[in-house]
Amino acid sequence: MTRATIWKGYIRFGDTSVAIKLHSAVREERVQFHLLHRRDLMRLRQLMVCAHENLAVPAEEQVKGFEVEEGKYLLVTPEELEQTLPEADRSIEVREFVRSDRIDPLFIDRAYSLEPDMTAMQGKGYDALVRAMTEMGLTGICTWTMRKRPYFGTLQARGNALRLSTLRYADEVVPAASLGLQAAALSEKELAIGSELIEKLTAAFEPGKFENEHELKLRELIEKKARGEKIAVLEPRRLQPTAPDDLLQVLEESLKKAA
Amino acid sequence: MAALQGIWSGTISFSLVAIPVRLVPAIQPGRVTFHLLHAKDNSRLSRRLSCPAEDALIPPDEIVRGYEIFPDKYITMTDEELESLSPERSRTIEIVEFIDIREVDPVYFDHPYYLVPSKGGGKAYQLLVEIMRRTNKAGLARFVLAEREHLVAVTSRSGALALTTLHYPADLLPGEVTSQTRGAPEENEDVNMRNTIVRMTADFDPGKYSDDRRNKLRELLIKKTKEHAVVEAPAPSEEAGPPDLVAALEESMRTMKERS
Repeated sequence: MTRATIWKGYIRFGDTSVAIKLHSAVREERVQFHLLHRRDLMRLRQLMVCAHENLAVPAEEQVKGFEVEEGKYLLVTPEELEQTLPEADRSIEVREFVRSDRIDPLFIDRAYSLEPDMTAMQGKGYDALVRAMTEMGLTGICTWTMRKRPYFGTLQARGNALRLSTLRYADEVVPAASLGLQAAALSEKELAIGSELIEKLTAAFEPGKFENEHELKLRELIEKKARGEKIAVLEPRRLQPTAPDDLLQVLEESLKKAA
Repeated sequence: MAALQGIWSGTISFSLVAIPVRLVPAIQPGRVTFHLLHAKDNSRLSRRLSCPAEDALIPPDEIVRGYEIFPDKYITMTDEELESLSPERSRTIEIVEFIDIREVDPVYFDHPYYLVPSKGGGKAYQLLVEIMRRTNKAGLARFVLAEREHLVAVTSRSGALALTTLHYPADLLPGEVTSQTRGAPEENEDVNMRNTIVRMTADFDPGKYSDDRRNKLRELLIKKTKEHAVVEAPAPSEEAGPPDLVAALEESMRTMKERS
């Protein structure tokens, strides 16, 4: 299977340099809708309209501004923005290695698979790096520049391959402490039965069991409508919340049901 | 930090226990955002939709969603029809089983959120947080958000429930590498590599890294503020309508209408 190469470069740290090609690791194909004019079912076009004149403005009359306070802007030119872009570079610089099980999943963003670039240095070092990281249980933390943007991410070994995932910056991840959650008084009995219930309901992670049923139903719905069939509209199901005083009893019933 | 707005409300359930919750974002993009302005008068531009047949701007109540079945031939779809596709999943996150989150390859992780308890749900919420922490397990569920069904993992995190959408296995591209004859490193090179890795080992501390481009944009803006480069927009026209119609529509396409 041939996959489009997004980017080519080198993984570098110390004296090591491994030539790689980068590919997407995920591809989502979902039903897409367009916005139409109800009256004539024409596909609508997007225009940029000046709030002052209420007229459409062509691209060459558009400028970028940063809002400092309501209605007040700092204008920036394309040349000024160009200067903030990092210089094009071909290296994924590994800055440090961390224990793989210490990576906080909340930081993980988009994944890419890395393939050895056989045209550069015959893919030398790729297998050795996969083996070293796997055996040591370590993940590389690296920085690189791709498509004019600086990235920060993880370099991991999975099976016989390397994978790169972008990470979110720390100031973008909302800390749980800021949610303002209140502690609740829970009895040891509630906690013990709850924990036992979880153990009873535990299975191995087998994502293949789950199919995107909604997407299949959506495609069926489109076909039905295309044939002119009538569509029944159903109300969403809402569950009655468990009252705090009933929690212990509901847990006990759940445990009986799971047994 | 401003109070986080709920993007969804409903119930999370496991076995017979049902907890009323709201979904809030776990990521707040730190991007420096710019607005498009009209060069002539520095007035803000907003996105409007126009019908090419009538060459006129179209108000929201004349807009309908359509799926293109043949070129330029559309099947229209109402919010109610879309919502009734999975009535059991649009308002309920039903945990169908618990798993060990360490078994989940991180390639599955898509977007993270938090769940916060709604009125009357605090106790059962804290129970789920605590029993998942004790057992070191995560809940696996499916639910429909923004008209899309997601496989999700619910985890216990610092006293809160985090919910991460997962990719479906069908969406993952094969990442395995074909075994070709690759140039093997010299034995001492392999040892050198491992020694370097050991020397470079540290704790995971994402706070050490910052977005260099964002920093540069901030410097640029500070410099321009000092140069008194601020311009002022004139008052918007009274016929201008809502601030950004397309953004509002896209939002409404994503957010299910609260129906009582």
